[in-house]
Amino acid sequence: MTDNTQTLNFKVQAQGLDFFYGDFRALKSINLDVREHQVTALIGPSGCGKSTLLRVFNRIYEIYPGQRATGSVLLDGSNVLAPGYSLNALRSKVGMVFQKPVPFPMSIFQNIAYGISHFEKLNTADLAVRVEQALRQAALWDEVKDKLKQSANSLSGGQQQRLCIARAIALQPEVLLFDEPTSALDPIATSKIEQLIAELRRDFTILIVTHNMQQAARCSDYTAFMYLGDLIEFGKTDKIFTKPNNKQTEDYITGRFG
Amino acid sequence: MNHTFTNFDAELTRLYGEIRHMGELAVAQLKAALFALHSKDAAVADAVVRGDAAIDALEREVGHDVLRLLALRQPMARDLREVYGALKISADIERIGDLAANIAKRVKIVHRHPALPVLDDIEALLNFSALMVADAVAAYHARDAEQSHAVRARDAELDERYTQLFSRLLSHMSQAPDAITAGTHMLFIAKNLERVGDHATNIVENTIFIVTGEDALDQRIKRDGTAN
Amino acid sequence: MNINHGLIQRRQIVNNLAIALSAVATVIGLFFLFWILYTTLSRGIEAMSWNLFTMNTPPAGATEGGIANALVGSLMMCGLALLVGAPCGIAAGIYLAEYAKLGKAGGIIRFVNDILLSAPSIVLGLFAFSLVTALGGSFSGWAGAFALMMIALPVIVRTTDEMMRLQPKQLREASLSLGIPLWKVNTQILLRAALPGVTTGVLLALARISGETAPLLFTALGNSFFSLNMSEAMESVPTSIAKLAMNPDEFWNKLAWAAAFLMTSFVLLISVLARIILRTNKAAND
Repeated sequence: MTDNTQTLNFKVQAQGLDFFYGDFRALKSINLDVREHQVTALIGPSGCGKSTLLRVFNRIYEIYPGQRATGSVLLDGSNVLAPGYSLNALRSKVGMVFQKPVPFPMSIFQNIAYGISHFEKLNTADLAVRVEQALRQAALWDEVKDKLKQSANSLSGGQQQRLCIARAIALQPEVLLFDEPTSALDPIATSKIEQLIAELRRDFTILIVTHNMQQAARCSDYTAFMYLGDLIEFGKTDKIFTKPNNKQTEDYITGRFG
Repeated sequence: MNHTFTNFDAELTRLYGEIRHMGELAVAQLKAALFALHSKDAAVADAVVRGDAAIDALEREVGHDVLRLLALRQPMARDLREVYGALKISADIERIGDLAANIAKRVKIVHRHPALPVLDDIEALLNFSALMVADAVAAYHARDAEQSHAVRARDAELDERYTQLFSRLLSHMSQAPDAITAGTHMLFIAKNLERVGDHATNIVENTIFIVTGEDALDQRIKRDGTAN
Repeated sequence: MNINHGLIQRRQIVNNLAIALSAVATVIGLFFLFWILYTTLSRGIEAMSWNLFTMNTPPAGATEGGIANALVGSLMMCGLALLVGAPCGIAAGIYLAEYAKLGKAGGIIRFVNDILLSAPSIVLGLFAFSLVTALGGSFSGWAGAFALMMIALPVIVRTTDEMMRLQPKQLREASLSLGIPLWKVNTQILLRAALPGVTTGVLLALARISGETAPLLFTALGNSFFSLNMSEAMESVPTSIAKLAMNPDEFWNKLAWAAAFLMTSFVLLISVLARIILRTNKAAND
């Protein structure tokens, strides 16, 4: 079986990345190359550092004092951890979706338009087009097109999560970070979001943290297994799940983890 | 290390036990067929024919257990290769059982005719294949890749012997036309034995896959030269 | 399991006893509430008419009168107190919840705020008075409003702080991830999400200051005449009740009861309103 993803470029690269919560070293010299237009999953037991790693990529950890990262993270070759790198530019290129659906306390339309308006000056017609585009990409348009003025809180959990995805997509980022996006959802809503993630890879590079191995098996192209702050193994998903190189990876995947 | 979910280990152990049992039965069938051939015992031959049902029943059970394991336990990596391998190996063993029963049927017919000189060769071939199967099942049970490779190598010899036996039978039948009935049945017996060797090779190739996750590297060369 | 029935029975008895006691306590509380309403209503019924709202506090010996000047005075002073105090309090609450939460400063500010919250209102009134006279002023509506503002402020700060901190941290992170600046996240998203709770805080502050008497005695004093001039002494409902009740004039006493009934109903209404706001918003968001 030929692997034609080998020719894809690296969109995001972590090099010698360390992360500290105060004095505690949560990530140990992580080297990770994420290919563009692929879904890369981060799996591992609780406390392995996968969420910590994800949150470095858009520097969201900076709002908490005592948390710092050293090393470099390259986005299209430029180090986003460098002091000179614009946080605003980073936030427009890297979007994030969280475990808990958190719609803004506004109407559905405003939820999407709010972020766009912060970066671009658009007239009403153009804004409406962008909002529709984002909602279509998130596979939510048909369900909400007749109630755009209604409060976002009136949507179901799965719809709210897709709204949050649409909100992130609306800024037309290049990379999307998903932090356990379906943990709070029922199986049907979960499937819809997994399908969405599979489709989104056409336009974005996607990183997803999940504690559900089967989800990683279902929706990712590459999988990284982490344990206690180390990156133990990284490779194509089908290889990791049929013939992993590392015994720790195999033990975790087969449910033998002590 | 055991699975955190202990039922999984119990179910896998059960599955391996079923395969092992199937293997033992198949080897016993082949050896019984050899005995029937050597001592012209029709009753033993009949017993072999009846005994095939047990192997078929076990194969069905293995099929059900594999399906259940796949659905309920979502096996991954090595576990997945084991379950997948078990399914394929059980199919090969079941075919070996069918071939043994077929050989037993033909043994009865052969013995109603005057003995042919190639009878000794047939017995030797039957013995050789039975040993191959026994060693293949042992290599699977031990999950030993090296043993598996050794068994795999013997298939070449089996094919050689079969090819020679084939020519000898042909020449004998062309010279003695009354021997054609017995000779044809012996041809089938010999062909069945060649097939037994192939199935034994399948078993060890699957074992290698289970253990290493890779397919056996060199392509198996078909040495059945009878169609050349 | 060998069930010890004695254990279960004993627990059942204690349970029932506790429920009974709680019910009795509730009844006692409600009893006093209704007694107050009944007393104030029955004693003041004769003075209850539209005159209450249209006529000013009457001179001694009069047979007709109302508390129009007091109502207007209360309205103006409470209104001003909240107009200034609410934005200040909300801003301070946001600061506490969002910017200072992780430093020592946050803990100190909260502690001081709690002291202010429970300070006797007469002390605050005295402080307002001394500040105003030090600046060359005297009894006035401004001084009264200032005193009321100081009483309302800690309540609003506390409620805003609590309500903001209740917002899920992921809402903040999600907004920041979109590149929205922190001040906008705080005001346009987090505050908006916390608005029902914050509004309730403001309403409760209103309920509190509308009934404060002691600080107003020092600052706004009282005025028998109708006045819209904040620089003069100003009448308010609680001070007028004090004045009307302490005088032996019968009609004045009846007027005092009527005013008391009005006050009690007002506070009751505001509390119910605050509850309704919280409940409808909770239902919408669940």
